Amino acid sequence: MSQTPSLRLGNGDAPGARPPSQKFTWAWVGLVPFFLFAIAFLLLPSASIVVNSFKGPEGGFTFQNIIDVVARKDLRSAYQASLSISAITSIGGGLFGFLLAYAVILGGLPKSLRTFLVTFSGVASNFAGVPLAFAFIATIGNTGLITRAIESLSGVDIHRTGFSIYNIWGLSIVYMYFQFPLMVLIMAPALDGLRREWKEACENLGATDWQYWRYVALPILLPTLLGTTILLFGNAFGAYATAYAFSGSFINLVTIVIGGQIQGDVLFNPGLGNALALGMVIIMGLCMLGYSWMQRRSARWTR
Amino acid sequence: MAFLDINNVTKSFSQGTAAVKEFNLQIEKGELVSFLGPSGCGKTTTLRMVAGFETPTTGHVSISGEDITNRPPNKRNVGMVFQAYALFPNMTVGGNIGFGLKLAKKPAEEIKQRVDEMLNLIHMPGLGDRYPFQLSGGQQQRVALARALAIRPAVLLLDEPLSALDAKIRVSLRAEIRAIQQQLGITAIYVTHDQEEALSISDRVVVMNEGRMEQVGTPFEIYNFPQTEFVAHFVGTLNALSVQVRDPANGHLVVQGQSIRTTQKLDGVRAGDTLMISLRPERLSFAADGKKTNVVTCAVENITFLGSIVRVQLRLGESLLYMDTFNNPFLELPKLGDKTEITFSAEAVLVLSSSAAA
Amino acid sequence: MKKVNIWAWIILAIGMIYFFLPLVATLDFSLRAEKDVYPSLAAYRFVFGDPAFYQNFGSSLLWSLLTIVVSLLLIVPTTYWVHYRLPNWRPAVEFVTLMPFVVPAVVLTFGMIRLYCCDPLPLVSSPILLIAGYTILSFPYMFRAVDAGLRAIDVRTLTEAAQSLGAGWPTILFQVIFPNLRVALLSGVFLTFAIVVGEFTFASLLNWPAFGPYMEFLGAQRAYEPAALALVSFALSWGSIGIIQYVGQGRGGEANLAGAR
Repeated sequence: MSQTPSLRLGNGDAPGARPPSQKFTWAWVGLVPFFLFAIAFLLLPSASIVVNSFKGPEGGFTFQNIIDVVARKDLRSAYQASLSISAITSIGGGLFGFLLAYAVILGGLPKSLRTFLVTFSGVASNFAGVPLAFAFIATIGNTGLITRAIESLSGVDIHRTGFSIYNIWGLSIVYMYFQFPLMVLIMAPALDGLRREWKEACENLGATDWQYWRYVALPILLPTLLGTTILLFGNAFGAYATAYAFSGSFINLVTIVIGGQIQGDVLFNPGLGNALALGMVIIMGLCMLGYSWMQRRSARWTR
Repeated sequence: MAFLDINNVTKSFSQGTAAVKEFNLQIEKGELVSFLGPSGCGKTTTLRMVAGFETPTTGHVSISGEDITNRPPNKRNVGMVFQAYALFPNMTVGGNIGFGLKLAKKPAEEIKQRVDEMLNLIHMPGLGDRYPFQLSGGQQQRVALARALAIRPAVLLLDEPLSALDAKIRVSLRAEIRAIQQQLGITAIYVTHDQEEALSISDRVVVMNEGRMEQVGTPFEIYNFPQTEFVAHFVGTLNALSVQVRDPANGHLVVQGQSIRTTQKLDGVRAGDTLMISLRPERLSFAADGKKTNVVTCAVENITFLGSIVRVQLRLGESLLYMDTFNNPFLELPKLGDKTEITFSAEAVLVLSSSAAA
Repeated sequence: MKKVNIWAWIILAIGMIYFFLPLVATLDFSLRAEKDVYPSLAAYRFVFGDPAFYQNFGSSLLWSLLTIVVSLLLIVPTTYWVHYRLPNWRPAVEFVTLMPFVVPAVVLTFGMIRLYCCDPLPLVSSPILLIAGYTILSFPYMFRAVDAGLRAIDVRTLTEAAQSLGAGWPTILFQVIFPNLRVALLSGVFLTFAIVVGEFTFASLLNWPAFGPYMEFLGAQRAYEPAALALVSFALSWGSIGIIQYVGQGRGGEANLAGAR
């Protein structure tokens, strides 16, 4: 393990430089434009969401909106739907994405395949939204490629049998298209970080491959694995464009409901929309916290 | 029968390059043998073949008569210490040390006892609950050593264990490693490119170059009686001179028109041939301090004060000679540019053959 | 020495099938616009002949340009300043750039509209909110690109070296720092471009013409043309990423967190 001190500093700048002097300077003025922008277009809108969640239809302070979010069946089911699809795609996407990264880095496949998969993942994770939805409609929709293939092979039109892809499971399959690559992009460097000497030291002490994974490799990878899964969860939870383009308002997700609110939908109660949004922000915030906590843990070990 | 027998081992990689050529070594139980050589000489590859991480292309490796050449690395009972420590970051010091025993399904009590024993051995008692990232480099390497020893291996293998550490720690830690090795009586192979390290702790040294064994011997033998030009150059500072043969039967040579004698046998050379000879810097001295058999006149080019040693750089015709003489506060050193007489014994003149076939 | 794993090949095969099948299906679908004629480029002909396509795509190009400018103006000086003078502010800046993840596009739009819909700051009728949203969306990538670029060139040392040789601020910034950031900047710029052009949420909810809503609209109206558009969009993404890889020699492989979802 190299002992170069510069690798240990947080931002890696000039290892020997003394930090700027502590006396009062006007230097912070340089950051004003950035933070002004952030306040105006990020913090204030977010704050207003929080504040307005507690506003009743007449304008007074109330908890009713929060209660409604939990109590009303349609809103509760929106959360349930969003949470399920996030859970499915984060766990499923995490698992298969990890296996893909493993296959291409430690599975003995040619190096070129690894480069290809990582580049492709970079593109695929960007392919989300409207075009992705269309692509899957062209694949498993009513006249999609697979639908027609199954029909010509077995004579059965699967859509006529009541089978539909416009539900949580169908949408999950679509979401996987950007969840797998995200996992690959993050796990690939993590797998690289598994030093060869650890495996050799294990073998030297008598371990089998399985024991190496169980006692050393997986424990080391676990924070990154968990953290990324949490990231995937948040990613799916906040998705709007893909769901909207794929199934419109057919599937009741929280993002769709909020979107409907903006377009002047049926809730009649702006406070309620805010409460919904607040719920989202809380969940996403928790995800972010979970992810960064895991990140810090894994960074501690792989110095 | 040797305890560890590396029998005629070669290793060629798929591109055709031969990393190790005909390596033949018998190591006795309790011996510490160093593999010494520059980067790429094959020393680490040979070590890894003993560990099982590489398979020999030809040849056999045996321990106590058992042929382990084709045994997988996790079934050999050899302990390995890596250059980069390779401690498992997710386990405590105690967890690391006890890992091999845990895999062997030893009872928890026995593991705890052995771990404590090891911690005492490496002078780190009570640090069993620390994590590797909380330790210094030297401490980590000690833990790596303890981890390898905990399983009571038949052979201990060390792959440049100290190269990642500061100079001061290197010196103290290598003495510790040697002390532990002798205390436990364990057979060990120590790979290094640092000749001072190899010379100071080994029972025997194998000098390697480009996959070949150049010479095997005790540190004393390697240093004082190098058998090839490579060994003479690599181990210690060396003065190499080109000389003509005047009288092979009596060991008479001529350098720069000045005549010298050697006690070494000059077989197969005739008068008029050119030879390479070597002289160790510490075998040279000022003639003013007392003349020995050979005296030559050189020009003083540079004098460096190194503390206990004074290193004098001399010029003899085209050649540069280094002379190490002990510091003496009352010694009158010649001035730069002066011509001075240098003397050395006939035994100090070593004839070099150029590389292998030693 | 790696032993080739049969499972690795199987998993890779499954992955590749999953990734390529939709692309193949989309291509196939896009060639079916004409009844009984296969393959037919009718869908593509329609798209490239549709003035709405050019209007919307052009709008998206405009939005992306504006976003890139605003984002560069905000991110580059700020990041440089943090690196050089105020490293303690770094966590705060980083936090802001990670916000697009915590406050997804839908929610942010919701908040912005409520806040700026009426007096005294009726911003909804101007594209300011759109550009602002896009800029915020670009923050993670721009910041990370510039940050990595600055880290690689050790800003403080370079600045001090230049100062010791007598350089003033303009010289330092434009002749020493920025030239070394060119690659990082290009990477951030192209990522932002790809994201903005493909974006749907902000444009749709704030009701501005853009490529994303156009695709969605076409999807509701016609059957085959959307597939053609999807492929065009995919090719654009691939092209942008390709340029980034080429320019940056493969740097910055970290993931896309907050693009159009």
